[in-house]
Amino acid sequence: MTPEELRHKAAEERTAQKRYKHCLNVCMAAGCMSSGADQVKEALTSVVRRYGMEEEVPVRAVGCMGLCSAGPLVSVEPKGVLYQEVKAEDASDIVTSVNDVPVKRIHCPTDTPFFTRQKKIVLENCGKVDPERLEDYIAADGYEALLKVLTEMKPAEVVQQVTISGLRGRGGAGFPTGLKWGTVSKAGTGQKYVICNADEGDPGAFMDRAVLESDPHRVLEGMAVAGYAVGADRGYIYIRAEYPLAIKRLRLAIRQATRAGLLGNQIFGTTFNFNIELRLGAGAFVCGEETALIASIEGRRGLPRPRPPFPANYGLFGRPTLINNVETLANIPTIIRNGGAWFASIGTEKSKGTKVFALAGRVQNTGLIEVPMGVTLREIIFDIGGGIPEGKKFKAVQTGGPSGGCIPEQHLDMPVDYESLMQVGSIMGSGGMIVMDETSNMVDVARFFMEFCMTESCGKCVPCRVGTYQMHELLDRIHRGQGTPTDLELLKELCDVVKNTSLCGLGQTSPNPVLSTLRYFEHEYQELIAAANQAHAATPAGEVTR
Amino acid sequence: MAWIAKNSAGTQIERREQPYLTDELKAKFEAEVLPRYPTRLAATLPVLHELQHRYHYIPYQAIEEAAAFLGVAPAQVLDTASFYEEFWLEPKGKYLIMVCQSLSCELLGHGSLLEKIKSKLGIAPGQTTPDGRFTLMTAECLGSCGTAPCALVNETLYENISVDNFDRVLDSLQ
Repeated sequence: MTPEELRHKAAEERTAQKRYKHCLNVCMAAGCMSSGADQVKEALTSVVRRYGMEEEVPVRAVGCMGLCSAGPLVSVEPKGVLYQEVKAEDASDIVTSVNDVPVKRIHCPTDTPFFTRQKKIVLENCGKVDPERLEDYIAADGYEALLKVLTEMKPAEVVQQVTISGLRGRGGAGFPTGLKWGTVSKAGTGQKYVICNADEGDPGAFMDRAVLESDPHRVLEGMAVAGYAVGADRGYIYIRAEYPLAIKRLRLAIRQATRAGLLGNQIFGTTFNFNIELRLGAGAFVCGEETALIASIEGRRGLPRPRPPFPANYGLFGRPTLINNVETLANIPTIIRNGGAWFASIGTEKSKGTKVFALAGRVQNTGLIEVPMGVTLREIIFDIGGGIPEGKKFKAVQTGGPSGGCIPEQHLDMPVDYESLMQVGSIMGSGGMIVMDETSNMVDVARFFMEFCMTESCGKCVPCRVGTYQMHELLDRIHRGQGTPTDLELLKELCDVVKNTSLCGLGQTSPNPVLSTLRYFEHEYQELIAAANQAHAATPAGEVTR
Repeated sequence: MAWIAKNSAGTQIERREQPYLTDELKAKFEAEVLPRYPTRLAATLPVLHELQHRYHYIPYQAIEEAAAFLGVAPAQVLDTASFYEEFWLEPKGKYLIMVCQSLSCELLGHGSLLEKIKSKLGIAPGQTTPDGRFTLMTAECLGSCGTAPCALVNETLYENISVDNFDRVLDSLQ
């Protein structure tokens, strides 16, 4: 495809879209699909056909609209009317009312904080474009960023824009993306690689899945821009095998982009080549760790190795490798189109831009949201999330999955950014947020995450392999009401050892859920232990309780 | 736990005349997979995935054939295959049910769902029904926390599951 062809295609598609008076967008992300979105789409299509309205009202499949708890979702564009919990039977009412007032029974108001408080960059196309149509993405300025870097910018200028943007890694650790790109671009010449880490495995996180299912081309474009900036001609996407829909759409997107000449050799008639290969994981959480991920692509067990050397200098097949998370790469096309300074104007001083969160657990509106950095947890949970259902009381919110921590009520007014979350003993993580109400026991939560880390430990280093196992034993004992004060002391000591001596992030951060629950909810541990001691004292001598 | 050593001493390898890694498959890998990597070893996971996709599990004989094809020792391929939880070295059922056991699902009723499936099918996670229809497994987060509890049956994701509606799903799978 030449630059003229891309622009022509975009214009043509936009005109085609304008021709329609209305458009019925049916959310076809995994959430809505499983509650019957495909039947809804079929019903809408047949009703539109029955009324002979195909020329006026097309029915399109689009990606995630965010409010997963109210699916299947259908939106009528450009009016912006949203319908929730739509059933096939509602189809004819929806179609006949496109020119009229919305159908009240299923109407979902969009002037609520859930919609108005969000700011969408990564998710800007989600719920608007058909993830299975390249033309849709192109009409939404897709591949404009790639065209711009290839025809107007030097690789160093691309790195510079990313640096100016202040974007930090969205996979969890928050490493400055520009710095990473700069390191890889300066790491000599010769073969280099770009890897997109889509091995999203944190319990509670589904941001990457939604982006890949709803707007896969955005990630491909981000990777190609990254490849140009650092001097790589080959990219790999490492995705979990548990995401079949995302895999299917990515495969299709890669095929479409390659056929259109947006990936492959001599893109836009320049000398730049970039090919993308999809790699499937096979159920190992540790492969989200960059060095383990590299080992897995190389065909070995997914075991991490000590760093340095860092992948930026010595990565895949021993070559300099750039590894970025899905959401990080999904930010790139917009940053290039609008400039780094624009992105840096959003968010807080040290955390720029927006962050996608997956809101789940005991909260009214579960789903996918994107907010500027710096909003408070209270706004996220109570305004956007609509608070706790069934009149229950908020207790804590877990961020960052098994590497993160539980944040209690007193810190809810804290702005969400990398540093603040760290200060209160949690981490930004990849963006999972699990809300817990008064009925949750925090020892149980800590035990849950420890069980996860124990099962997923690769076993290479002793502190993590043995430490997570022993910490789980102790937590289980305390939770079962058989713990002693010594157990608690041991637990604290182990946390310290595992945190400081493990080889990779999985082990180093595995004590976090315990440490944060101990910090804010130690009384729950103490109560269980006190009750255990009382029971023990009441047992006649000679009887064994354990 | 990937690090638990699996006892493979005295393993009898069931053999059949016909290779699992057929010439047609080999040609496909040579054309479509190997050119994308600088080493043959790197094709290990794609080859294993394809074998599992075809035969629903990875027989030991297939591991030997894959090793010969990739130019490495059979032990190395077995080493890799046995590390990943989702590579099946034993035959599994026609339908693989993966029940998500993540926190959101746990908060929203994964426990009773799993109990129901266990009692209905008469198997524990990791086991297959005698008629070879179902294999049950628990899985780490399936990424549907907004619509918990959830489960994956082969490649179909079910969300907002209740004990009753999943009962009907199981009945419909023949």
